[in-house]
Amino acid sequence: MSHDNSQTVYRTTPARTGKMMVIMLGICIAGGAIFFSMWDYWISEPAPVVAMMAGSDDHAAPAAQTGQTLTQDLSFIESSDFRTLAFNALPGEPDNNPTVNMNVGDKVIFNLINDGKSFHSFGVTKDAEGFGGIIPGSEVASASNPLKPGESGSSEFVAGEEGTYYYICTVPGHRDQGMVGEIIIGPAQGGVSPGVAAAPTGVSHDFTLDFVESADFRTLAFNALPGEDGHNPDVKVNSGDEVTITANNLGKSFHSFGVVSNPEDFNNVIMDSAIAAATNPLKPGEGGSVTFTAGAPGTYYYICTVPGHALQGMQGSFIIE
Amino acid sequence: MSGHSNWPEWIYIGVVIALMVWVGAEAWEAERLVEHVPADAETIIVTGQQWFWSFEHEDGTKEIGELHVEVGKAYKFEIISKDVNHAFNIHDYVVLMDAIPGRVNTVWFAPTEVGTHDIQCREYCGLIHYNMRGTLIVEDPST
Amino acid sequence: MVLELQKPRPIWQIMFSSHHTDVGLLYLITSLAFLFLGGALALAIRAELFLPGAQIIGDAMTFNRIFTVHGTTLIFLFIIPFASAVGNYYVPIMVRYKDMAYPKLNAIAFWMIPPGGALIWLGFADFTWYATPPYSIISAPGPAADMWIFGLKILGISSVLGAINFIVTILKCKHPDMSIGQVPLLAWSFLSSSLIILVAIPTFAAALLMLLTDRLGVSGFFNPAMGGDPIAYAHLFWFTFHPEVYVLVIPAIGMMYEIIPRFSRKPIYSYNSGIFAFVLLSIVGFSSWAHHMYATGMSFTEKTVFMVGTLAAVPASAMHVFNFIATMWNGRIKFLTPMMWSVGGIALFFSAGAGGVANAAMPLDFTTHDTYWVVGHFHLFVMGTIAFGSIGFLYYMFPYVTGRMYNETMGKVHFVMSFIGTVLVFFTQHVLGLYGMPRRIFDYPPIPEWIAMNQIATVGAMIIGVSMAIFLINMIYSSAKGKLANTDDPFDLGGKYYYPFEAKNPSH
Repeated sequence: MSHDNSQTVYRTTPARTGKMMVIMLGICIAGGAIFFSMWDYWISEPAPVVAMMAGSDDHAAPAAQTGQTLTQDLSFIESSDFRTLAFNALPGEPDNNPTVNMNVGDKVIFNLINDGKSFHSFGVTKDAEGFGGIIPGSEVASASNPLKPGESGSSEFVAGEEGTYYYICTVPGHRDQGMVGEIIIGPAQGGVSPGVAAAPTGVSHDFTLDFVESADFRTLAFNALPGEDGHNPDVKVNSGDEVTITANNLGKSFHSFGVVSNPEDFNNVIMDSAIAAATNPLKPGEGGSVTFTAGAPGTYYYICTVPGHALQGMQGSFIIE
Repeated sequence: MSGHSNWPEWIYIGVVIALMVWVGAEAWEAERLVEHVPADAETIIVTGQQWFWSFEHEDGTKEIGELHVEVGKAYKFEIISKDVNHAFNIHDYVVLMDAIPGRVNTVWFAPTEVGTHDIQCREYCGLIHYNMRGTLIVEDPST
Repeated sequence: MVLELQKPRPIWQIMFSSHHTDVGLLYLITSLAFLFLGGALALAIRAELFLPGAQIIGDAMTFNRIFTVHGTTLIFLFIIPFASAVGNYYVPIMVRYKDMAYPKLNAIAFWMIPPGGALIWLGFADFTWYATPPYSIISAPGPAADMWIFGLKILGISSVLGAINFIVTILKCKHPDMSIGQVPLLAWSFLSSSLIILVAIPTFAAALLMLLTDRLGVSGFFNPAMGGDPIAYAHLFWFTFHPEVYVLVIPAIGMMYEIIPRFSRKPIYSYNSGIFAFVLLSIVGFSSWAHHMYATGMSFTEKTVFMVGTLAAVPASAMHVFNFIATMWNGRIKFLTPMMWSVGGIALFFSAGAGGVANAAMPLDFTTHDTYWVVGHFHLFVMGTIAFGSIGFLYYMFPYVTGRMYNETMGKVHFVMSFIGTVLVFFTQHVLGLYGMPRRIFDYPPIPEWIAMNQIATVGAMIIGVSMAIFLINMIYSSAKGKLANTDDPFDLGGKYYYPFEAKNPSH
């Protein structure tokens, strides 16, 4: 081993050490950038076991909308001592925990804003107590990644059956402290028969609905342009009938097909009636077909599900009796 | 290796061991007394959940966040949890016991003076653990 | 001891080397980086708790994540790798062997630390460094929680590989002329802590795996809703982590055994007592784990058994304190920086142990459990004993590793400020705990005594922070531009007590 200290002994140079430290710092900064840019993601998902523990939801599958769309604005508010919580107004004041009245098949859009100082999250449940059994689609944030003061969000709930549901704050304990309101669901409106699909009748129908465009691309339609014969034909079938629709793209642009409840709601295709999709559409000359069973009676619409095309004319009535 | 006498070390170790034995014996005796629940203690069921305490008295009265008890009576808390681990703590009376889901833990106390005291949670239970507080109100016995 | 090279080496050669001095250096740099990162989090915590209400941290979730990562980082990414750094650098030299027993395995063990650390830091979980179920199963959000679990698994494997290396190197590779009773106490400390690791860590590895499968819903070990028992995790966790605290402290005490005899210019009072105390502590340390669980509803008999087990470990630690004081007695003590840190460390070790006896006594634990008393108590161990011993040893190692001397005045200033700061923070926290302030809380009610003590603690923490900045500057500047050191006797202690691999009898 060394006894001779007359010459300096190096492991490495200060310059190289400095370079190494800069590299380490750079790695830390890169890591920090990744971390902070995805700040909420790291704590956004509950453990998989939680979904399992929520267990058998018989109302797990959301219903399809066949009726009106309502809107309910709700804000989370707290009493100054944090002991009483509520939606919109404290107990005793008007509009405290407003009751939502709707019918089977209606959709209600909840717009939530956190006007309190604590954290809250939202969901619709059938359970008469507790914070579980939340209907998928009705959640805004969650107990482990809640809305901070001032934040807002929306969700929707479609009533599939009659009865009393509850909208609650899903942070454990908040429902017990007052953040709960009722959703009273009455029978479906309109139609002689209740909003339930009939059993398959065995009757089959075939329809051809081709995508056509005007030369200036301003007007779009099915089968024929406005004013011509066969333009956007009405389709009428009975509940339970088997329907096959063939759609060919006779235009120069991209299209896709689906039956919806609301012609402006191109994202919610019902009854599994989609041919292609806005994200993977039919190219010019391509065609496709779909077979599905006609659902509950009502007035629906068949549209091109590419955003905006229904408004430009690619829609027609699809009536189930 | 150690050519010097080491009687100081032996004495030192003897003193340390004696101290530990004394601490252990005193602790054993004190704990034995503390754990003996009086037969006439009134049971209160304490439920801890994220993030508040609720109480149920023997006669069915329920309270959320506040607990009313009477001076001079012994109370036995049966502590349960509905979700994660909590710990029920009334610091002024050295009442401390974990609330563990799936089991019931017992601790007792007998308040000696009228007054208000804080109830807090002393086991980390998440977001609002820091504010999982309540109030113990000790009142004069109602006739 | 300094690598004798005539030409400075490229950094990549040091990084990919498996020579024990290079691996030791890598461990050293990594552990110091994490010391500063974890310490920064501590300053954030203390700044937030200066007053009730939200100060610099906006919400409780962020605060919970910060203290979780603070604890995890400083234990697994500073203390353990730092001990590995010292062990890697010195153990082969002390047993007069050319390298560690398995050099490549050694390098692999080091390279597991950065990915483990990256997983923990990128996820920033929020369930405290205990990860207690059911919270960590049903309530802790992912992927942060799962990343933490994987990160700790990797770090656990790294520890075990390092432990195997140390044990084989010390027992099998020591010089044939050296009997086990002649191996220096620092090497004995690594032997003890490595044996504890081998027994304790696999339990935690199992617990982590069970926690992960519970989170996935595949199993129900600790989840009451699936038929499990959360207390089972507590037993598994503490069965590992009570002995683990001895794994943390024993190398630091070993480091003090290097410094105190040398700077007192007197041989160690009783080498045999030192060995006996290390071995006794390692064994008895396994008998006390459930003193962390007194409040979970254990029976009187269970609590008594663990109280006895806890108190039984005290004489072993006390033997070390006696050994150090008896060594210094009548010595010609030179109070240079490493010595100051070691002596300060012993004083704080004694205080930590004394406070711990209060926790061990069953009824007293109900006053102190999960309050700031416990925070003060264990920080006196990890900061007051382990960090002080480690930093002191770092100053001692500095001339041997870099060939240059650090700035002695800055080193002393660092010590004085850190000591004052440590006392201010952690002694105060003992009292704060007696007043009832719980641990792990983002905010507290405006009780005047609590506010006052929190403020004292924050001031102390800021003092420590400033001293660490001085330390960083000292280390960086001196390693590049410090005065060249006389590597035979950098501290000018007089020839007889420099590194003893030249001496015939390494323990004197």
